[in-house]
Amino acid sequence: MKEFSFNHLSFSFTTGEPVLTDLTASFAPRAVHLLTGPSGSGKSTILKLIAGLLPKYGGQITAGNLTVPEGSRSGMLFQDPVMQFALDTPRHELEFTLENCQVPRGQMKGQIATALSFARVTPLADRKITTLSGGQQQRVALAAVVAMKPTILLLDEPFANVDSANRQLILNQLAQLNRKNKTTIIITDHECFGYQELHPQVWQLRDHHLHALTPKEGNELLRHADQQEAAPIRVTMPSKDEQAIVDFTDLTIRQGDSVLLTPTNLHLVKNKTTLLTGANGVGKSTLLKALARLLPYDGQINFQGTDIQKISPGKYFRDVGLIFQHANDQFLNVTVGEELALSRQHGHNPFFTRARLQQALSDLQLNGREDQVVYSLSGGQKKKLQLLLMLMMGQQLLLLDEPFTGLDSQSLATILQLIRESRQVLPLTIVVVSHQLSGIEDFVDYHLVMQNQQLSYQRN
Amino acid sequence: MNPSLKLFLILFISLEITFTSKLWANIIIILVALALLAVHHFSWRQFCWLIAIPFLPAMALFITISFFSPDRDWFYGWVLVSRIYGYVSLGTLFTATTSQLALARSLEQNCHLPSKYAYGVLAAFNLVPRIRQSINTIYMAARMRGVTLHWWSPTLYFKAILAAIQWSDQLAQAMESHGFVEGQVRSFATVITISKKDWLLLGGIILAVQFLVIALP
Repeated sequence: MKEFSFNHLSFSFTTGEPVLTDLTASFAPRAVHLLTGPSGSGKSTILKLIAGLLPKYGGQITAGNLTVPEGSRSGMLFQDPVMQFALDTPRHELEFTLENCQVPRGQMKGQIATALSFARVTPLADRKITTLSGGQQQRVALAAVVAMKPTILLLDEPFANVDSANRQLILNQLAQLNRKNKTTIIITDHECFGYQELHPQVWQLRDHHLHALTPKEGNELLRHADQQEAAPIRVTMPSKDEQAIVDFTDLTIRQGDSVLLTPTNLHLVKNKTTLLTGANGVGKSTLLKALARLLPYDGQINFQGTDIQKISPGKYFRDVGLIFQHANDQFLNVTVGEELALSRQHGHNPFFTRARLQQALSDLQLNGREDQVVYSLSGGQKKKLQLLLMLMMGQQLLLLDEPFTGLDSQSLATILQLIRESRQVLPLTIVVVSHQLSGIEDFVDYHLVMQNQQLSYQRN
Repeated sequence: MNPSLKLFLILFISLEITFTSKLWANIIIILVALALLAVHHFSWRQFCWLIAIPFLPAMALFITISFFSPDRDWFYGWVLVSRIYGYVSLGTLFTATTSQLALARSLEQNCHLPSKYAYGVLAAFNLVPRIRQSINTIYMAARMRGVTLHWWSPTLYFKAILAAIQWSDQLAQAMESHGFVEGQVRSFATVITISKKDWLLLGGIILAVQFLVIALP
């Protein structure tokens, strides 16, 4: 089989600067490739070019070309898990997929069962996709792509919403797929831990160019990432005399007919950062949404001693903000400049003077993008803008739902530094749900774990 | 009954009652539809909605025709009312007894509708719960940025339309990435056939409706 190769390829979207310039690289078939690089560097673009979705759905190749071997069939998993399904349940989606691939009816059942168990989603097969959590949806999407038996599997940040246990499971499955079916696998990931088993060819995307690391360099990078990941988070238990900002009294959360949280009494400490972790679908996002009054619950949630149902929405959301898992949900306007103007107009965080805002924008590499449409930013850029916009609002309590998805370590450090500086001027309580733990060890004060329908503080 | 034939039957009966003015035929059609809905465990609340929603337009028509038309024709007023309820109960019967997926599959396999339309419409239907969620989310996102949106706020619709445009693009990409190619031959997970029984049922019901329309006043 021939290789997938880029020959001096340049690509740009119709507006804005080129995403890739003079890119030359060839991906060996039957191997595993890992693409790393800062957010916004064009990792997703490369995958979509290989999948043939670009330039069909926007942008143009301005120079060079891309060679795709004949008879190759690509399956692609997208960064955003929500928008990958045309049908209502995982089983129907898989049937639809196999119908497209002209799999005879007799073989469908078996192939679907295999694919579902591959991605560990067999029990979810007949649930409505809209009721699944982000991580579960991502695994269902993986099942659909694997069912297609592609010769090349393209995974775009596939683990951004997947917890570490499932991440490891899926990585093992991918290794098997690569060995048995000789499937070429190309993964983009800003985190490199857990990949040693797969022996991938590591690529770094820097300054619009792809650099292939030598096996030695690659191994070094992966080993380093594994060590970092293994470092535990240093946390303590909150003491009794610390001031609470939120109290749960017999808080119970249901989703459909399943209970996500049995009656819980707990408090969140004021002006500290509390990390909330737990497996996919355990109800982390649902808990945050209950706190933000987006979903119903039983029991009582008090904010600074008052039942949140008795506070008017206008007042409540002056004090409490939610950073949505999907960055697009946060935006209200069209361009970056308009979004910033809106937050300047209504925000009351004294930290963000004009000068400091300019500084923050350039630190986050968002400067000069004022006229760009927010929806055309890359995944990581959207996340950075989203965090900045909400920090400017100056709420007392910020609920962060997977805020670091798609952020490279440099951007992550910058964002955390910005939060620290802002906190010195205006105290801020943070509850953060994150699967990504590397890089935020020093940022977290307390650690809440959600499992077996219970919520408890953890200590190490 | 085969979903495509059922759709044809419902449309046929609706057209027929549009071009005839037979009160009793309409009433019997409504009663049969309601009885079938009852068999399908339609709840009381749903029945109440079924009656309440067309009530205002039906009454408006009735009053206009019965009191303000040149010949003050009460009979024709009632015919129009029964026609409206006829459409509504037939439509409800169809949606309550047919799954969207089965209809899409039947239209694709039995009527040879291009799969692009069958699945495109289906995908759009599956977006409905997501649209609700996202409208709620837009309200909240605005609150958190110090903006209060109302149902008449342009921003709300702007965001909703923007989301819809984005979704349509992403949906197309998602379908394509799951192997969907326009016009390409597909296999079928569930084969939907039109049985002899379906044809007989269709013919029988159409004949019965003709009898009602001709025999009754």
